[in-house]
Order: sequence, then C-alpha cells, then structure tokens
Amino acid sequence: MENTTLSKRTIAFGLALAVACVVNAIIVVVKEKSEAVMGGMKKVLGHHWTTHSAIVIVLFLALGGLFGLARGGRGVAMTTNSLIGTVLSAVGAAALIIIGFYLFID
Amino acid sequence: MNEIILMAHVLFGVACLVTAAWLFVDVLHANETNLARIRRMSWGAAAFMWLAFLIGGYWYVTAYKVDKAIILKGPWPFAHNMVMETKEHLVIMLLLVATYLPIAAMDNLTKSKDARKLMLWVTAMIALLALAMDGEGAIISMGVKVALLPH
Repeated sequence: MENTTLSKRTIAFGLALAVACVVNAIIVVVKEKSEAVMGGMKKVLGHHWTTHSAIVIVLFLALGGLFGLARGGRGVAMTTNSLIGTVLSAVGAAALIIIGFYLFID
Repeated sequence: MNEIILMAHVLFGVACLVTAAWLFVDVLHANETNLARIRRMSWGAAAFMWLAFLIGGYWYVTAYKVDKAIILKGPWPFAHNMVMETKEHLVIMLLLVATYLPIAAMDNLTKSKDARKLMLWVTAMIALLALAMDGEGAIISMGVKVALLPH
C-alpha cells in the first residue's frame, strides 16, 4: 500500500528552503542598491558575501525548526504537489530576480 | 596553493553534481535494498556541496580580488559583472537545496510515491544548479584567460 504523506520535517524544511531562497534574492537587490546595507554587511563578518550567506543559512535552519513546531507541534499541513510547486516557484523566482538584476539593473 | 584550492572547489562541486545524478536514478528504482545507499549518498551530496561552498567561499573572500581586477581590464568584463555576481548568490541556493536533500531522503521512499517524487525534483534541481555553477565557473576562468592573452 502506497503512503502519500510527507513527514512534518520534510514539509517544514521544504517551506524554509522556499522562503530562504526568496530572501536570498531580496538581500542581493537591497545590498546592491544601498551603500549603507552593503557597508553594514561588510562590517559584520568582514565580507558582504560571508554575512549574506550566514543570514540565509541561519534563516533556513531557524524557519525549518519553526515550521515544524506549527499547529501545536504537528507542523505545517501541505500536499506534496503544493510543496513541490512552492519550492520550484521560489527557487525559479529567486534565480530570475538575481540573474535579471545583474543583467538589466546593476 | 590558490590553484589547488580552486581545483578542490571544482572537484567537490562536480562530485555533488554526479552524486545528485546518481541519486535521481537510484530514487527512480527505490526499494528496500537501495534505501540505505540513497540516504548515505544524500548525506554525501550535501557534504560535497558544503566542502565546495566553504573552499570556494574561502578562495572568493581571500584571493578572487586579483582575478577580478584582471577580468575587469580584459575583453570579458561580464565574466565578473554578470557571471561571478550571479554565481556567488545562486550558489547559496544550491547549498540550501543540497542541505535539504538528506532531510527529504529520511522519509520512507520505498512506501511513499510522494516522497520519491519530491526526491526526484530535489536531485534534479541540484544537478541543474550545479551544472549552471560549473558553466559559470568556466566562463569566469575564461574571463581571466582572455584578459591575459596578448592582444
């Protein structure tokens, strides 16, 4: 008998992955457009990219844990197709924002 | 030493790509006999990606400025302005997707069609993103090379 459910951990970290990817793209635009943000990120860990990476990785891990605690510890409820659609859309949109920004705006 | 660091970065990145491609095929045929291997290789793909990321990140932060200056004075400035700028940020997403792989692999792949479907999408994303990073790395190297060629 086929089981069609995903574990709460898989759903939680899948959603965290989607959010972290979009935030990654937003940080790119914000830091490239704001000297103050870029300067601040350079000061925190010595290089803007190191700070950028650390923010996104910590966000992914923290959100994965938080989404797993939703609904009284049962985690976020979501179908597999919705999760896959969300992750693919987020990764695709983030990639397009980053490529589009450096191609057309920066 | 910088060359060794850079080659190690590429080596582990390609190892992640190959492992993801292997996993895609293994997940298509997931059963009780290959489940443990799928999970071990998922951790392996994530480990390869972390090594590629950390080694490449170290090189980028400490040594890339020399290459950057050469590229910007050469005929392919886009190798930095467009390609390196996108690579250094897309690779963070690749790291996250690779980190997610062993998490997704912990589900029961032999009994859940949905878990297998998710794993196939995740491994495909890793392979495609890693291939894109590989191509971008090649363009950046070529940006340095064409700048150093006599014109």
